[in-house]
Amino acid sequence: MTPIVEGRGLTRTFSMSSGPVTALRDVSMLISPGEYVAITGPSGCGKSTLLHLLGCVDAPTSGSLYFEGRDAAALSESERSRIRLTRIGFVFQRFFLLPMLDAWENVELPQAEIGGDAVKRRSRTRELLDYVGLGDRVHHRPSQLSGGEMQRVAIARALANRPALLLADEPTGELDEDTGAQIADLFDRVHADGTAIVVVTHNPLLAARATRHLTMARGTLQASPR
Amino acid sequence: MGRAARIFLPVAASCLIAAVITVRLPLPRVALQRASPERSDGGKPDTTYLKPDAAPLKPDTTHKTVLLSRQLMAEAGVNVGDVVTLAADANGTRGGTFLVAGMYEPVPDPRKFSAKRLEARLHLPDLIALTEDTNDPGSSDQVSALNLSLANKQDADAVASALARRVPGMTAASTSRPGGLDDPFAVLERFHEAIAIVTVTGSTAFLLALMVMRAEERREIIGILRLMGIRSRSILVEVLLEGLLIAVAGAIFGVLLAVAAQSLVNRFFQWRYDTTLVFVRVTTSIAWKAVAFAVPLGVVAGLAASWTLLRRSVVSLVRR
Amino acid sequence: MTSRALAWRTVTAERSRAVLAVAGVAVIGALLFDMLLLSRGLLVSFRQMLDTAGYDVRVVASEAFPIRSPIPEASPVAADVARLPEVRDVTIVRTDRALVLIQGRGPTEVELLNLTVGAERRVWRLTAGQDLGPRVRTKTSSSPAVISRGLAESLTLAPGSTFRLRVIVSGVASALPPATFEVIGIADFHFAAANEHAVATTFDAFQGVRGSTASDAADVILVASRPEVESASTVAAIERQRPDVRAYSNDEVVARFDENGFAYFRQISFVLSSITLGFAFLLVGTLLTVSVNQRLGQVAALRALGFPRRRIAAMLAWESAWLVGVGGLLSLPVGWALALQLDRILRQMPNISDELHFFVFEPRIAVWHLGLLAATGVAAAVYPVWIATRLPIAATLRLETVS
Repeated sequence: MTPIVEGRGLTRTFSMSSGPVTALRDVSMLISPGEYVAITGPSGCGKSTLLHLLGCVDAPTSGSLYFEGRDAAALSESERSRIRLTRIGFVFQRFFLLPMLDAWENVELPQAEIGGDAVKRRSRTRELLDYVGLGDRVHHRPSQLSGGEMQRVAIARALANRPALLLADEPTGELDEDTGAQIADLFDRVHADGTAIVVVTHNPLLAARATRHLTMARGTLQASPR
Repeated sequence: MGRAARIFLPVAASCLIAAVITVRLPLPRVALQRASPERSDGGKPDTTYLKPDAAPLKPDTTHKTVLLSRQLMAEAGVNVGDVVTLAADANGTRGGTFLVAGMYEPVPDPRKFSAKRLEARLHLPDLIALTEDTNDPGSSDQVSALNLSLANKQDADAVASALARRVPGMTAASTSRPGGLDDPFAVLERFHEAIAIVTVTGSTAFLLALMVMRAEERREIIGILRLMGIRSRSILVEVLLEGLLIAVAGAIFGVLLAVAAQSLVNRFFQWRYDTTLVFVRVTTSIAWKAVAFAVPLGVVAGLAASWTLLRRSVVSLVRR
Repeated sequence: MTSRALAWRTVTAERSRAVLAVAGVAVIGALLFDMLLLSRGLLVSFRQMLDTAGYDVRVVASEAFPIRSPIPEASPVAADVARLPEVRDVTIVRTDRALVLIQGRGPTEVELLNLTVGAERRVWRLTAGQDLGPRVRTKTSSSPAVISRGLAESLTLAPGSTFRLRVIVSGVASALPPATFEVIGIADFHFAAANEHAVATTFDAFQGVRGSTASDAADVILVASRPEVESASTVAAIERQRPDVRAYSNDEVVARFDENGFAYFRQISFVLSSITLGFAFLLVGTLLTVSVNQRLGQVAALRALGFPRRRIAAMLAWESAWLVGVGGLLSLPVGWALALQLDRILRQMPNISDELHFFVFEPRIAVWHLGLLAATGVAAAVYPVWIATRLPIAATLRLETVS
């Protein structure tokens, strides 16, 4: 089975005014379809950097990354954008919902970007908002939702185009324990429906839900990639 | 965009307001006074503006002499030392030959700045002889105007009134009397003031928009400060001081921008109209006026934008 | 959701900011509109004023037009010109400066005017009483006069009133006696300045009050070409027929004034239009740049979600378009209202006819104005679009998360 994403010898170095900083050193890993992987580690160990590389948001300084068998370095920026739109879903710590759109519009936005039948889009949006338990809050703007509700809308948005891979960067970072547990339950459902998930987290309860647990320290993976 | 840009942009907005206030067009009356040369005395050439030719003029008693303006000499392709014919009629009648004794630069006249200064200066008897109407015995003793220089300039209005009483039909007026409401320069001044008011109004709207955006950027910080117990008044004082600093910097920069614009505008018009008139003058009082206007405007705009924020509840400020 | 709709939602999310920005564009745009109107207004108005009377050619004595030099023997010149096949109508215009004398009041300076019989209605519009003509009769033995409305109001004159009038002879202590005139009509004179008064009378009365019954001098002869004839052809025909005079078509008169008196306003208009456009560019650009800067996290998130650069660029371009578009449309009525005020100020200058305006609405000026504003809006969006499409996604997300 072709892995969804495979990284070989990934290194990422940032040029700072005080000198270069290597956030990721020679990391190799592989995510198969339907896997649920949690990456934990102390702050500054390179977890988010790895997530950005896996999501084709950033490019490695050296090493190679393959998404569904395609070399990401050989793709143009618009091709990478297309992959992120159709094959990957992102969930951020700070949600990053568009404040001037309500829940419904935020979830419909990525579907509208692809185009297609408006009726199907509306049906999918309704389905997703019901899936995350916000069927009765569809016309509420982010400022009218709690943190947990905003994150659920963000998850629904990330799933809008039926991605093969869901990447979550500290999805419960700004939520309390109970709300965090609700998000963890939601991720379980998403995984059960067949979507591969890679979650970067400090939350041990969320990490425990994953089928594979990777630990990072000082830019390197400490646990086995498989 | 970094911190430097965030400071620069409101400064730039303030300076634009100051620049508009200082660039007021035109003030050629000042230029006329500044450019005032020594006047012709008893028919002698106006040496302040006389441009000596390279070759010395050979003595010539055959012809009467004439001075031509620089513009006329360039237009007609005439040089000093040439003999020209001047005629009062377009068909060449009532004319005479003259030796071009020199070239002069016409005194810049704001009322004629757009006209080509194709002029000649003759001795008065020569001019009268050229233009007199032989059918009119009085025309040999006729001039269009007399300029008087008084021993005491304060007497100008009284002398003008006395002359008008003694010689009915003649108009006498002091040259230093300020124009009335319909004086062209007074009208132009009101016109430019109106434009300045409109420009400042538009800029103020933009400045307020920017200040509202900046205040919104700091919404969370202000909320945290309020949560910590810091009073609204203290925050306003901080906003006031910051706004004052930015407004003063912007106003000064605006005046400097206006001075640079002054140079560009003057050069453009002086080139366009071949004149030495000064069209824009940023005086010290204008610069101070601009600063005095822009600084309070910038400060008030910042305070107004922050005030609307400080009136909101602390919870709404810190909530995302 | 289209980029246009998304941009609209972004712009209107912060109402106070949107209102202030649109107001700023409207006011600055209004100034730009007025400067564009000023660039041609006076010329257009002057042309309209010249054409209103129905004459398209002017005959004067010398090359020094518009400086007046009288045509010495005007009647034979007018007769020769009238015989030309290109010519439909000819009017001799004689003017002089005079003083109106009324007991108990100071003298009032007026322009004394005489036209060829039948041309009255082209040069003035009667508002009360009767007009000059071959069958005009006065109640007294005084000479008939049609006076300007301003003079009538200023001296409380009405049809039937009498006044004395003496011609001003410049530079000489004149001994000419005043003549008595009776007001037969009051009119609006097309070419009179707002602060000028006019008195029109018959040829005999005009000559009589000047004490120059033998003189046939006139200031200008106005000529109307036949409808099928070009003005230039009429000018050429007149100059062939009478080489001792100079003829100018209205186009030439307008062109001469364009070179001299109107040039200043055109230059001012150019300078102020350029400054205003630069202003609008800086202000809209600053607003958009600050707005993008405040939303870098959102923009990075959209890019991470797969939104291509062109979509982000389109969204920002539409934001600029909304601000400049709505403001630009509002700037037209605001600009016109402002133009009326500026026109009122400029028309306070001396010797400006009531019918002359500095600001004249032309549809193509409105089109230029909107086009220039649109170009400015596009240019102002370039830098913020560049910021948004070139931002490093991962670094921005990281920064927004930790800040």
